[in-house]
Amino acid sequence: MTLLSILGVLSSAIFSGTSLLYTTLGEVIDERAGIVNLGLEGVLLVSASSGFAVTYLSGNPYLGILVSILAGGLMNMILGYLVITRKANQLASGLALMFFGFGLSALIGKSFVGDKIHSLTRFLLPGLKNLPLLYTSLFKFDILIYLVIPVAILVWWLLYRTRWGLGVRAVGENADTAFASGRNPHLIRYQALFVGGMLVGLGAAHLSIAYTMNWTEYMTAGRGFIAVALVIFSKWHPLRAIVGALVFSGAVAFQLLLQSSGVKVSPFLLDTIPYILTLVVLIAWGGNRKHSAPASLGRVYQGSE
Amino acid sequence: MKNKLFVLFSVVVCALVLLSACGPAATTAPVAPPAPTEEQVPVLLPTAVPPTAAPTETPPCLIIGATYGGPITDAGYNQAMHEAVVAIKNNIDCVKIIEAENVPDEAGATSTMENMISQGAKMIIATAFNHQYPALELSKTHPDVIFEHAGGWEMSANFANFFGNPPDGWYLMGVAAGKMTTTNKIGFVAAFPLAWTLVFINAFELGVQSVNPDAQTFVAYTFAWGDAAKDADTTNSLINQGADVISMHVDSPATIISTAESRGVYSIGFQNLAAQQFAPQYWISGTGFTLGGKLTWLASTVIDGTWQPIFLRCGMADGCMAIAPFGPKVPQDVQDLVMQKKAEIEAGTLVVFTGPVVDQDGKVRVPAGEVLSADAMSSVDWFVKGVVGSPK
Repeated sequence: MTLLSILGVLSSAIFSGTSLLYTTLGEVIDERAGIVNLGLEGVLLVSASSGFAVTYLSGNPYLGILVSILAGGLMNMILGYLVITRKANQLASGLALMFFGFGLSALIGKSFVGDKIHSLTRFLLPGLKNLPLLYTSLFKFDILIYLVIPVAILVWWLLYRTRWGLGVRAVGENADTAFASGRNPHLIRYQALFVGGMLVGLGAAHLSIAYTMNWTEYMTAGRGFIAVALVIFSKWHPLRAIVGALVFSGAVAFQLLLQSSGVKVSPFLLDTIPYILTLVVLIAWGGNRKHSAPASLGRVYQGSE
Repeated sequence: MKNKLFVLFSVVVCALVLLSACGPAATTAPVAPPAPTEEQVPVLLPTAVPPTAAPTETPPCLIIGATYGGPITDAGYNQAMHEAVVAIKNNIDCVKIIEAENVPDEAGATSTMENMISQGAKMIIATAFNHQYPALELSKTHPDVIFEHAGGWEMSANFANFFGNPPDGWYLMGVAAGKMTTTNKIGFVAAFPLAWTLVFINAFELGVQSVNPDAQTFVAYTFAWGDAAKDADTTNSLINQGADVISMHVDSPATIISTAESRGVYSIGFQNLAAQQFAPQYWISGTGFTLGGKLTWLASTVIDGTWQPIFLRCGMADGCMAIAPFGPKVPQDVQDLVMQKKAEIEAGTLVVFTGPVVDQDGKVRVPAGEVLSADAMSSVDWFVKGVVGSPK
């Protein structure tokens, strides 16, 4: 295990963990406001396909990213209407949103399969230019990768250092109490869902426009659910989500490294390492109730009239 | 609690209903127009005319139904098969083609093919790996329809199969890769450790070794035919280990080639020659299926009634496989060498799996003076020496 291969795993983890981290941050905000969004997979797909389509049509990846962000926010508004205004069950609505997203994204992306887009340019951080070429190629990232940690810190600041964030967390803990203290739980939940959806859209944009540079039907392949698990993994905290996303995608990169370094373990088994790791962490976290789920998570707010 | 369980249960049921309803509906693209309701419309149409043929047009000499497992614009396998089917129409103008893409599951394949037959298809070309048995079952109940499967092995009176023979092309790609690599590390992204994938990788590494005995091929699996993000993960992982040439055996090479290009690493394509568009700079070459000629011939035998069930396998010399044009960074001497080896393969003087072939553990798999048979290839579960990675 050389320094280069460790740095290689880190580089791979950063590349593939970025979309996962944006998605997880979006879900953290949703869940902090008390809404479980199981439809992430569908939100990701619709954002990824519409962002890819616009990037292809306009030739401008930044426009595509913008459309992805908006699509994510709007998809979450559908969920908002169901679970906030119509007071529907959150799990059922989330799954319905997911299936809706499967169909809608396939429809949007249908004529863009196999198209080539102009992706985001990658650049080195200033100061790293003096490293040998072998190393610099590992750390040439696009703008969305550089922005992901600042965005995580921004989400933390929003949730823990602003009045708005206090309101979001209060609604997630106990909507009745928040209402009694003069907050509007419905409005706050809509706002949280919209901001969360925009972050999921950013994750989707990185996936299709910057990372794979390709649209294929059902390209998320379960990453939406991984993000839901990572929210629990990070105990609903945006800064711990950074660790969660990096550990998960690091495990993916590590098992790929093991596969291609000729270890005498079945690659089928190695492929399950990231998921086993997630399970182990969830089991270990499971017993500890401190700082865990928002108290009203998954509960429908019936109103306080 | 009980209430919650009930909700969860009903959600799952709804989901299953939705899924099962979506599957076939989404996949059966060509839906037959509803048969005229005979109570309302006075019977004027002769019943022998298929509902799709308008009375004014001349009926097609043959209706061909083709099914694909994925999208026909994937710059990969499905596009290669689609182009071959379209070539039939270009060569024989009187045929009519009905196509259905994105037919991933076997139940969907059965209903899609039945639908095509009800529209008058007398020849079915099933191109996805898992469409073989649905097609075979239908061939028993529809003895008047000819079924051809891409890459299968089953045979019956009206069921046969056809495919290109990629190992020769892979060997040539190995020759090019072995010449182009400077780190002596070549990355190979594979979907699953299947026998044919292993044969491709072995042929590739034998080609590499023939010009560069020190170069090794590093293999990593994505465990999916079309997970673009996993393709990118795997490509990056191999590049981060120092690989400076990337090749692949997945359905669509688009993501892998784009990723290699974005990292400034050479790529070698497989399945469809169109993959080159994703690597304008670092493309070396590629090998892909060009089965249009053979499919045209098969269709013509169906039309004139001379069709026989044959196990058809054809290679570069027959025009079933081709080599893509070289990229701008490939020196002339490398191009010449590849073309020279290609001529030797076509002339039969160079046979890829000629013994002695030694596996990773040093065990002799093909003794000197012998050749790996086509039968043995379909059960290969070993890598040749020089490949790094696990074959099972």
